Amino acid sequence: MSRFLRRQGWVAGLFVLFLALLVVTRLIQPGYGAADFGSLARAVLPYAFAVAAQTVVVLAGGIDLSVAAMMALTSVTAAALMAGASEEFALAVVPFVLALGFALGAMNGALIVVSRVPDIVVTLATLFMLQGAALLVLDAPGGGAAEWLKALIVGTVPIPGLPGAVTDWIPKALVVLVICLAVVWIPLRRSRLGLSLYAIGSSDLAAFRSGVPVARTKILAYALGGLFAAMGGLTLTMSTGIGAPIPGPYLLASVAAVVLGGVALGGGRGGLLGPIIAVFVLRLVRTDLTLLAVDPNVTTIIEGVIMVVVVMLGALVAMRGRTP
Amino acid sequence: MKKLNYLPLVAGAVLLASTALSHAKDSYTIGVSNTVQGNGWREEMVCAMKAEALASGKVSKLNIAHRNTDAAGQLEDIRNLISAGVDAIVVNPADPSGVNAALAEAAKAGIVVVAVDQGVTEPSAYVISNNQEEYAYLGAKWLFETIGGKGEVVYMRGAAGASADSDRDKGFKRALAEFPDVKVAHEVFTGWQQDQGKQQILDFIATGIPFDGIWTSGIDNVIVDALVESQATLVPVVGADNAGFVGQLNKVEGLKGAAVTNPGSIGGAGVALALQILEGQKPASQTVLVDPELWENVTPEGKAKLAAAADPSLSAEWPVSISIPNWTHYTKEQIVACKGPGE
Repeated sequence: MSRFLRRQGWVAGLFVLFLALLVVTRLIQPGYGAADFGSLARAVLPYAFAVAAQTVVVLAGGIDLSVAAMMALTSVTAAALMAGASEEFALAVVPFVLALGFALGAMNGALIVVSRVPDIVVTLATLFMLQGAALLVLDAPGGGAAEWLKALIVGTVPIPGLPGAVTDWIPKALVVLVICLAVVWIPLRRSRLGLSLYAIGSSDLAAFRSGVPVARTKILAYALGGLFAAMGGLTLTMSTGIGAPIPGPYLLASVAAVVLGGVALGGGRGGLLGPIIAVFVLRLVRTDLTLLAVDPNVTTIIEGVIMVVVVMLGALVAMRGRTP
Repeated sequence: MKKLNYLPLVAGAVLLASTALSHAKDSYTIGVSNTVQGNGWREEMVCAMKAEALASGKVSKLNIAHRNTDAAGQLEDIRNLISAGVDAIVVNPADPSGVNAALAEAAKAGIVVVAVDQGVTEPSAYVISNNQEEYAYLGAKWLFETIGGKGEVVYMRGAAGASADSDRDKGFKRALAEFPDVKVAHEVFTGWQQDQGKQQILDFIATGIPFDGIWTSGIDNVIVDALVESQATLVPVVGADNAGFVGQLNKVEGLKGAAVTNPGSIGGAGVALALQILEGQKPASQTVLVDPELWENVTPEGKAKLAAAADPSLSAEWPVSISIPNWTHYTKEQIVACKGPGE
């Protein structure tokens, strides 16, 4: 039990913080209910996938600056392909776009491994390349999305045997998020590849000497990051019904949530659950600031202060825990 | 038995009276959603919203979601405003169709939705907007006529991928099609950033490629600065009605140019329209378009208009048209102070 708490303490703490924020939100706006929680889940979607993409890469000891640009490119690609096409055609578009993300991520990884140029430089370069490519696909926001795809994240999931009061709090967007993340993350975590990923993140030299295929693992980490980014791009198209070629504010948000989620930026330590809950916390803070009608020029300052304070408090708690 | 029949009628009357009461309240909360921060035009728009809310005396609180984000982020902001229980939402949409889902949810929740500056395709929303295509057409046509119907022009656009930019591009291309001898020497996106635009024109001047005119999407005064500083030929420049540029058109020796109006005070008009609808006065048409005007400094009439419009007391990046007749009700002091109700 204590081992579990030590390992999952950060995640548990974040979850408590999230619940506390929910209570605060209810106090600010007594009418805050299930429908509003659904809005929160939908707002979380693109951020959550951006964070998942960043987490996989950071765990493997890298950093991916091209996350937001990759989301923009995959989003416009999906929107451009689906514009005016049949509903069934979208069934082919989704796997194509996911494969595109996987390939672009693998390209990032391969460039880093082959050229030996630092991750931050390579992904900065691909950021500009992907941004330009997105504008080539669509020079202005446009395109379309299949109705079934848009409906996938609207409303709640009726579960037989559960009363409506409960299922109202299970928005489809949340279910989509959990399924998409679990399908990739759980097998990965249990596989050799997952272990190698943490190993090269901790120390690629030690991993290499232990016989871990460092280059292949790194490329796969970036490829999985690309896959998550493509999921994020798809959710952008699903929620807006269009594709926008200018990347949204997802890069910095992804790094922020990775840090807040308890993942070591140096790599090798942390999980996926922490950063995802961190995204929920950050989005709910934004909701509260809007509900409170805080001066918009002050909101980003408050968001930044909250992040620093939480991370510092966490470090303090961790330090105290270590002293006998 | 007969008496019973009146019951639904009475109930209906009570219901009507109660809704009438709720409509007649004099303290509305209005939500605002805007996705570009730190741009002079958008700041004026937000200040006009605050000033109009204050001047109307009918708004108890403005709930402003104002940050740099994309359409997905605006969906989040609009839904947060719905959660906040506002009576109306005035939105400068990041995209004409990208935020429709949240706007429809707002309308379903009984919230009045008004889009300003750029239109939306959501049918339940009211739109009060500047005509962006006409804005570009008017200025470009004047520029091409002024350079004698032939020559090379520099085309300094807004932000790549923004809908106002693509609308303006349509207007520019329409004017270009009317002048077959006019060529675009250089096309560039300023991103509506002053520093970026100035650097771009300095870079282009440095190439030595000749040009006869410059069309800008509102990043204008720094372009004139660059021409003067680098002692390049003062070619005709088209810009917006920003205070700094209007001042230059009046003062800079030898500069020919035109300012096309694009009032940021449209934000105030949006708040005024939202209040009208809340009070039960629906406009005749769902969409109200404000057509731009062109003020040039070549003819005496144009010069007179420019002289009347100039306002050196405003920030150089603010459009000089700080109010819209018949729509906005605030004073200049109120918009410059930029304080909403309760601030």
